[in-house]
Amino acid sequence: MLSRLVIVSANALKGSSPLGAGLVQVSRCLHASPQSLSPVAPLPEKGGKVRHGIIPEELFQLLYPKTGVTGPYMLGTGLILYMLSKEIYVINHETFAAASIGAVIIYGIKKFGPSVAAFADKLNEDKVAKAQEVKDSAMTSLTQAIEDEKKEQWRVEGRSMLFDAKRNNVAMLLETNYRERIHMVTNEVKKRLDYQVALQDLQRRMAQEHMVNWVEKNVVSSITPQQEKESIAKCITDLKALAKTTQAKVAV
Amino acid sequence: MAGRRLALKAIDWVAFAERVPPNQKGMFNALKTRSDAISAKLASLPESPVAIDWSYYKSAVAKAGMVDEFEKKFKALKIPEPADMQTSAINAQEAEAEKDAQAYVEASKARIAQYETELDKFKNMIPFDQMTIEDLNNTFPETKLDTVKYPYWPHKPISEL
Repeated sequence: MLSRLVIVSANALKGSSPLGAGLVQVSRCLHASPQSLSPVAPLPEKGGKVRHGIIPEELFQLLYPKTGVTGPYMLGTGLILYMLSKEIYVINHETFAAASIGAVIIYGIKKFGPSVAAFADKLNEDKVAKAQEVKDSAMTSLTQAIEDEKKEQWRVEGRSMLFDAKRNNVAMLLETNYRERIHMVTNEVKKRLDYQVALQDLQRRMAQEHMVNWVEKNVVSSITPQQEKESIAKCITDLKALAKTTQAKVAV
Repeated sequence: MAGRRLALKAIDWVAFAERVPPNQKGMFNALKTRSDAISAKLASLPESPVAIDWSYYKSAVAKAGMVDEFEKKFKALKIPEPADMQTSAINAQEAEAEKDAQAYVEASKARIAQYETELDKFKNMIPFDQMTIEDLNNTFPETKLDTVKYPYWPHKPISEL
C-alpha cells in the first residue's frame, strides 16, 4: 500500500518537494515545508484499485503502453516459472500451508469484508453526523438570536408612544377638570336665579291663597241667621216642588 | 367662556400593542383601559356650558338690577385653567427612557456582532469529513485533549468518555 502511494505520488512530487519521494511515509505530511498552507485534500473514498485482490492496478497501467493487456500476466507467469525452475523458491510443506491459509483469508475477506467496512463507516458517520448536528443547531440558534435582538431593537423604537399616551391622558384630565368647573359655575348661577324666581312665585301664591281664604271667611261670617232661615225654607219648597214633579213622572 | 383647543396626539393603539413585549402586556392593558376611561369621561362632558337665558330671568325676577348684576359678574368671570404639573415629570421620564434605550440598543448591537462572528466561524468552517483532529481542535478548542494533565490515553477522565 505504501509502495502504491509511492508510485502515485512520484509523479505528483517530481520537483515539488525538496526531500524526494522516498521519505513519504504518511499521506498527510505531503506539505513538508512550512510555506505551503493550502488545505489538505480530503481522504479518498475507496482504497486503491487492485486486480485479483492483490496486484495493484497501477502495475497494469504502467506496463500497458509497452506490452498491452497481457503484459503483466506474462511477466507474472514468467517470474513464477523462473523462480520455480531455478529453485529460487523451493516447494515444501509450508507452500501448502500458505496456500490453504491464503484461501481461507481470501474467502473470509470476500465474504465479510463489505459488512465490516460498512460497520466501520457507520461508526464514523455517526460521529460526523453528531458534529454536524451540533453545528446546525448552533447556527440556527445564532440566527434566531440575531433575529430576536433585531426584534427587540424594533420594539424599543416604539417607546415614544408610551409617553405620548401619558401626556394625552394628562391633557384629557386637565380638560375634563376645566369643563367640570365651567359647568359647575353655570349651574350654581342658574340655581340661584331659579331660586329667586321660585321664591317670587311662592310669595304670590301664598298671598293669593290667603286672600281667598279671607274673602271666604268674611262671606261665611256675613250670612245672618235670618238669611239662613229664609234660604233653608226656600230650599224646602223647591225640594217639595221637585218631589211633586218626580212623583207625577213616576206615576205616569 | 370658550373651550380650549385640546392638543391631543392621535395614538395608534394597534401599532403600540404590536411593539409591547409579551411580559409587559398586563401593564399595557391597564394603561389602555385607563386611557379609554379618561377619554370616555371627556367625551361625556359637553365642551361649552348650557347658556343661561338672561332675558327670561330679567322679565321673571322682580328685584331690579339683580339679574343685571348677576349677568355682569358672570360674564366677567374667568375660570382658571387647572395647573399642569405632570408634563414635566413625564418629559423627564422620557429623557431617561431615551438614555436607557440607547444603552440597551448599544448592548444589543454588541451582542449581535458577537453572534455574527460566531455564525461566520460556523459558516467558514471546513466540512467535517475534510477535517483532521488538529483542525477540529483549532475550530472547537474544547475538544483538545490535555496530554499534560492526563499523559496516558484516553487523555481525559474515564467518566467523561
